[in-house]
Amino acid sequence: MKSFFRMSYPYILWIAVFIVAPMFMILLYALTRSGNETLTFTFTLDNFSRFFSDPDFIRVLLTSLRIALFTTVFCLLIGYPAALFVANLSDRAQTLMTLLLTLPMWINMLLKTYAWRGILLNFDFSSEFKVFIGMVYDFLPFMIIQIHTAIAKLDPNLLVAAHDLGANTWKSFVKVTLPLSVPGIISGITLVFLPAVSSFVIPKMLGGGDYVLIGNLIEIYFQQTGDWNFGSAISLIMALIIIAAMWATKKLDRSAQED
Amino acid sequence: MRKLIEFRNIVKSFDGQVVLKGVNLNIYENEFVTLLGPSGCGKTTLLRILGGFLEQDEGTVIFDGQCIDNVPPYRREINTVFQRYALFPHLNVFENIAFGLRIKKLGNDIISQKVNRMLSLVNLEGYGKRNVTKLSGGQQQRVAIARALVNEPNVLLLDEPLGALDLKLRKEMQRELKRIQQEVGITFIFVTHDQEEALTMSDKIVVMNAGSIEQIGTPLEIYNEPVNTYVARFIGESNIMDGIMVSDYKVRFDDKNYECVDFGFRPDEPVDVLIRPEDFRVVKPKDGVMRGEVKSVLFKGVHYELMVETRTGTSKTVQMHVVTQHDIVNKAAGEKISANDFYVDSDDLINKTMTDQDFISIANAQAWDDADRDISLPHVTHNIEPRPGIYSITFGTEKKTEVTVKVYVVHPEYVEDPQHNIGISALDFFITPDEIMESMAISTDLKTWASAEAWNLEDDSPVEITDVKFDFDPAAIQEGSYDITFSTRGRVYKVETTSAHEAGDKVGLLFGPDEIHVMHKAVVE
Repeated sequence: MKSFFRMSYPYILWIAVFIVAPMFMILLYALTRSGNETLTFTFTLDNFSRFFSDPDFIRVLLTSLRIALFTTVFCLLIGYPAALFVANLSDRAQTLMTLLLTLPMWINMLLKTYAWRGILLNFDFSSEFKVFIGMVYDFLPFMIIQIHTAIAKLDPNLLVAAHDLGANTWKSFVKVTLPLSVPGIISGITLVFLPAVSSFVIPKMLGGGDYVLIGNLIEIYFQQTGDWNFGSAISLIMALIIIAAMWATKKLDRSAQED
Repeated sequence: MRKLIEFRNIVKSFDGQVVLKGVNLNIYENEFVTLLGPSGCGKTTLLRILGGFLEQDEGTVIFDGQCIDNVPPYRREINTVFQRYALFPHLNVFENIAFGLRIKKLGNDIISQKVNRMLSLVNLEGYGKRNVTKLSGGQQQRVAIARALVNEPNVLLLDEPLGALDLKLRKEMQRELKRIQQEVGITFIFVTHDQEEALTMSDKIVVMNAGSIEQIGTPLEIYNEPVNTYVARFIGESNIMDGIMVSDYKVRFDDKNYECVDFGFRPDEPVDVLIRPEDFRVVKPKDGVMRGEVKSVLFKGVHYELMVETRTGTSKTVQMHVVTQHDIVNKAAGEKISANDFYVDSDDLINKTMTDQDFISIANAQAWDDADRDISLPHVTHNIEPRPGIYSITFGTEKKTEVTVKVYVVHPEYVEDPQHNIGISALDFFITPDEIMESMAISTDLKTWASAEAWNLEDDSPVEITDVKFDFDPAAIQEGSYDITFSTRGRVYKVETTSAHEAGDKVGLLFGPDEIHVMHKAVVE
């Protein structure tokens, strides 16, 4: 065990340099005032009170959460039947379908979003709907793959047993397949919701100049205004909301398992 | 008893391979029926057709007077205990058992009443809240049984349910299952390949083989009156002999007529004769109807299992000439070489082409260099002709290190035993003391050195040489000539007895007319 532990040193170093240190920097920036001397920090919560006291910021935050939520729910609604369909194919067809599903992921996201921009130009949709379409298109494969993996590893004997105990096809789905694919649903939701809530390329390109989501807000404060302190504070607020959401889904998952 | 299930001419094949060849079987109410057979005999397929998980190609299944061929599994009043239990991992013990009741939308109070009754039936009171994946194999088994029985089916199917349990637990569950079946009073159809399991639990055993039913009967009938050698071999230990039914109540086997209780055969009909090992009594040689020598003894806990040879096999004795060979040294090349004189069968020289490699191995020709590494022998010259006589053969290395030995071409006498259809042959041979002392498995090596072979006179198929007798100590062998006798197995009976015996004891065997079971010869398809 000890020698294996030693093999993890490079990774621990990696985490320290590239994950823990930047996080610490964000925390530091978020809690300090801009224009500080390098070595003297004035700690303050001003950045946070500025965010929460401005209704425009709150509106952007709520819009981001709403569109991410809609995207996730919609991906789940089309993704689950698709995953179920794929899981019931022959092994060969499954491999092919998985390949086809992941194929769009090989193409640069910027390129795909440009293509959508061209297509959506012909339609008179609201900015929010265009962003929604772009997000569903981009993140759907994550949902399908996660759920498919969970369904494919189910023991087929469980369905035979359910039939034997009097459950028809629909009831065995509801009572066996669905509850046992919950872990796949949870990780699918996580993999769709997280990038959707913080995406800035898709709203920027599909939503037009006036459409701002939280990701764009962060980008503006880092890139254009140069107010790293406020940008860090927004990032931190986002991070806390995501952590809370993940914690809640974990809780939900666990209580579903215990039932 | 009322007929509950009727299989009519069920045929099923997978990918062109016929698994069930037209099975007809009736199963009655409240029976514990076991489908017994080796894997691949079709027993599980038959069970799955009854459960509705497979569709037969031909034939009909009648259940309670109704054809159920088109009834889906979830509408059949049949429940199954699966081989690997197939418990639902997301549900606890209580909810697993309640699964079928919840489908039927019964009230919560009725469900908990029924589930708790099942929990106590399978001795799992207080386990309701447990996670099924954390239970032991035996406990999972009980949950699976309770989950099936709670639906109050008319028939419970059990597909090798005890296969995954260890021996002690399996015995416990066998008793348990029998008790449960008697308590709930429904038909159990149990599939197994374990004959002991079938004998202890069943009211009726169905012995299956290669997609057909061989015999249906009570455990006692199957054990005592197997219809053919297949059933006899599958159920219990057995001695099976070729025999001839001389007349009613008289059967001839092992060159003697015996009284028996069987009748109704054609005069002089060839039959198979079965005597169970435990039906022999071991007595003094003069008191037995057969006499023999104990060849081996195995202690089996309560009894001893003896192998008693009542007739010796066919044998052939040869001479082993032990001579010391001195290696020939070629100092210039830094090599050593050695080989033995050897005998060869003139028939072998005629019937098969002997290659140089064959001669090298018979003569045990070997060469080494300074560092004791083996060198190949590419040069072999000889004047051997396929007629008896003395010839010579020379083996040589690349560097011309050579050895010449004598070859005795002989026409050995085969020992032929027409009564038992066995021929045996072996040749005299030369060997060095070193080779004998270095031998790891002396009997096997002696067979190789003497080219000992035995065969069936009718079809030339090989027969095993089971006995190699010699009278020397391989660890302290001296130069000289020794007799070695090779023999095939004689008539050996497996005998179970509670009295102790030692290998080499002379004993008599005694059995009565009703302990001889005569069976029709199986029809060869």
